Amino acid sequence: MKKLLSHMGTLGIYGVAVLLLVVGRVVSADFLTAENMLTILNAVALLGVVASGMAFVTYSGHMADLSLPSVMAFSGIITVATLSLGLLPALVCGVLAGMSIGAMNGFVIGRFRANPILWTLAVAFFMEGFMRFTWSNNQVYPDIAPGSAGAAFIGIFRTDIGPLPLVVVVMLLMLGLGQLVMTKTRFGRETRFVGSSRAAAVTSGIHVPRVVMLNFLVAAFAASVAGVLITSMNKLGVFYLGQGYDFKAVTAVVIGGVMLSGGRGNMLGVLGGVLVIGLLTNIMTFMGITSFRQNIVTGIVFIVVVGLQQYRLRAGGRSSE
Amino acid sequence: MVYTLSTLEITTRGSSSLNDIGIALRMEQVSKQYPGTLAVDHVDFEVRAGEVHALMGENGAGKSTLMKMLAGSFDDYTGQIYVGNAPVELRSPAEACDHGIGMVYQELSLAQPISIAENLLVGRLPTKPGGFVDRGKMMDEARRCLQQVGLEHLDPSMRIEEISQHEAQLVEIAKVLGRNPCILVMDEPTSALSREEVKRLYEIVRKLRKRGLAIVYISHHLSEIFEIADRVTVMRDGRKVGTEDMAGVTPQSLVQMMVGETIDEFYQQRHPDLGDTVLTVDRLTRHGFVHDVSFSLRAGEILGVAGLAGAGRSELARVLCGLDPAHGGSVILDGKILKPNDYPAAVAKGLVYLSEDRKLQGLFLRLPVSWNILASLTAKHSTMGLYGGARDRSIVEQQISSLQVATASSEEDVGNLSGGNQQKVLLGKWLAKGPGVLILDEPSRGVDVNAKRLIHEAVMALADQGAAVLLLSSDLPELVGLSDRALVLREGHLIGEISKDQMTEESVLLAANGELPKGGDA
Ligand SMILES: Nc1ncnc2c1ncn2[C@@H]1O[C@H](COP(=O)(O)OP(=O)(O)OP(=O)(O)O)[C@@H](O)[C@H]1O
Ligand SMILES: [Mg+2]
Repeated sequence: MKKLLSHMGTLGIYGVAVLLLVVGRVVSADFLTAENMLTILNAVALLGVVASGMAFVTYSGHMADLSLPSVMAFSGIITVATLSLGLLPALVCGVLAGMSIGAMNGFVIGRFRANPILWTLAVAFFMEGFMRFTWSNNQVYPDIAPGSAGAAFIGIFRTDIGPLPLVVVVMLLMLGLGQLVMTKTRFGRETRFVGSSRAAAVTSGIHVPRVVMLNFLVAAFAASVAGVLITSMNKLGVFYLGQGYDFKAVTAVVIGGVMLSGGRGNMLGVLGGVLVIGLLTNIMTFMGITSFRQNIVTGIVFIVVVGLQQYRLRAGGRSSE
Repeated sequence: MVYTLSTLEITTRGSSSLNDIGIALRMEQVSKQYPGTLAVDHVDFEVRAGEVHALMGENGAGKSTLMKMLAGSFDDYTGQIYVGNAPVELRSPAEACDHGIGMVYQELSLAQPISIAENLLVGRLPTKPGGFVDRGKMMDEARRCLQQVGLEHLDPSMRIEEISQHEAQLVEIAKVLGRNPCILVMDEPTSALSREEVKRLYEIVRKLRKRGLAIVYISHHLSEIFEIADRVTVMRDGRKVGTEDMAGVTPQSLVQMMVGETIDEFYQQRHPDLGDTVLTVDRLTRHGFVHDVSFSLRAGEILGVAGLAGAGRSELARVLCGLDPAHGGSVILDGKILKPNDYPAAVAKGLVYLSEDRKLQGLFLRLPVSWNILASLTAKHSTMGLYGGARDRSIVEQQISSLQVATASSEEDVGNLSGGNQQKVLLGKWLAKGPGVLILDEPSRGVDVNAKRLIHEAVMALADQGAAVLLLSSDLPELVGLSDRALVLREGHLIGEISKDQMTEESVLLAANGELPKGGDA
């Protein structure tokens, strides 16, 4: 019974997914086709990659990293800007550039206990200004002459592995790896301890600043990978590429059963959360709902889910009286 | 026959109505079910006005649950509660408050970053027209509340986190008294208090009793019960065992009621087999708390630290293990100087600290028992190492069974355990790590007689295996019974040492007050 309850979050989200499949079938006959399913997977793949990193920040009790969109844009721009070094070096440069932001976040929040929301919000603001200033508000284009590193770069997003697009495979890999790290490694365990009670983690001899640092680094790594992919997709790098991924990723993480208060949840749930967002968006598109109104729905879903989580916490008698 | 019966009826009716005048509170056949645990099982309980009624029982017997019922914590209890003679429903804290029930919780419930005054007057802050807080009035009222518990020296505008834990405990009591309850429940009020403060608390309680309050007093200390209580009710496994006049019981008979068997005072003589010096503390200083403290500790030794509240015992421990920064001096563990202010490094080398405040610092209340016990072991596994199941499980099972933790399963959240059982889990976390240097700060706070013996046995066994133990305790029998020698701290200074043969409860108490036994020197 107890076990069942603890899996409720995970099971529940897949229940919702199945429900949405039924709703989608009712809305349109074209919904439940292999082709449309692949479209949905493709559409949420980048979100899934970002969410796999965001989940660590939430799990560690730091709610969200709002600088991830700027990490995505930055890693993309740097990749494009360094393509002259060759594809692989450029990818490494791009990802490292993105991770350097994560390292800074992790250091400041882990060591000086800065408020994670405010700090990452400030960093996002700073990074936007920085990128607009440095590249004079311009988009940066890779040289896509056939055979160049730029052409190979553009090709990344357009690669298929078997029946699946590369992005979808990357998403599944990242979530799978995340699940392994979260539940099976020392780092994953320590993250859960820190997320459950920072004070108790300190008195248990856990190196809390280091654990926090690693969590923000993991989040920035995932966002950087997503940034490279989204830049490849758009064939250009620009400061606004990651826009909206912060809130959507937190939504996926939270409706996937990772508690905003930290210490509870897993990646299987996050995958469910990502799929539910994909299904929901897809159905709304079928229904002809515009993307602004889709945002309204996503916002409402977030509020309802967070409300339910809090309610369940309290009903379980675990509120801090 | 008929005649006798009717007289009997008359007399009972007569006496009961006489009694009823004095009955402040009656609970009839009350029960409370948690998921998986029937914590209170058809209990009858009554308290008279003007009496101190002790509530005793082993850890997890259901004492706190019974009292939380009174405080309106549950909306799903069954049975009937009467206040005075009127049946009442106590299904929310507000209803409990309206009926004059005041509760001092086992765990502190004050808001840390808020001022004492606001904590004291929460929910009834005096305001000026327009909704502004009347600061002058608030401070006056707060001072009046503090005076009731002898804390008039505190500035009510200080934040809770700035005062010590025992002061916070008294503030908690002041907060409840400030609402003028007619029924006062105190759940282990002395567990965070020093000896002097306990005496002050007795005076407060006696004064309140004289005023006609009905007082329920939960404690595991027999000496306190005999000092202060008029009657005692004992619970076991959620049921009531019985209610007795204090005049009619002895410590032995009380323990017998609680445990179902007799336990004699333990503390068997230990013949420590001392090894090499493992820990040397050299002129350790933290301004304002610890001054120039030096001592050393050998393998297999249990070294007590005596001192009054505020003498700097916990501060010494925290600086020593690296939780707080030092301003001078050094700590040498196994021949190597410890990096200052790096507790994770100390833990990795085997120097661990069992913190005094289990709820705020020690335990992961929202994690299962198993995770809490394994929390000390993360460093043992290599960074990339994947966690295995079987070995972890056996470690957890072993601690649960050797400390007899009462829990539905090892996957129960620690926050759902009774106070004493939480304390056992906290200790289990460090025992699981095995020997090394163990600093224990009030290791048996809030545990019952039986559990206390288990904990003491575990500590002695650990020392026998070669661990060095630094024992900080305000429980004098515990300190005297366990320690091989004791350091005496006073206002942050190490003023001397007491050897085993000089150690009695009296000599330790005198030393803590500055009067060392002859021959004891620094
Ligand atoms: N929130 C909860 N959820 C589930 N079970 C609980 C909860 N709180 C307490 N229990 C269980 O109810 C029983 C009684 O607990 P209670 O706290 O009343 O004990 P107690 O007599 O106060 O013990 P102690 O002396 O250790 O404080 C215990 O078995 C405990 O595990
Ligand atoms: Mg209790």
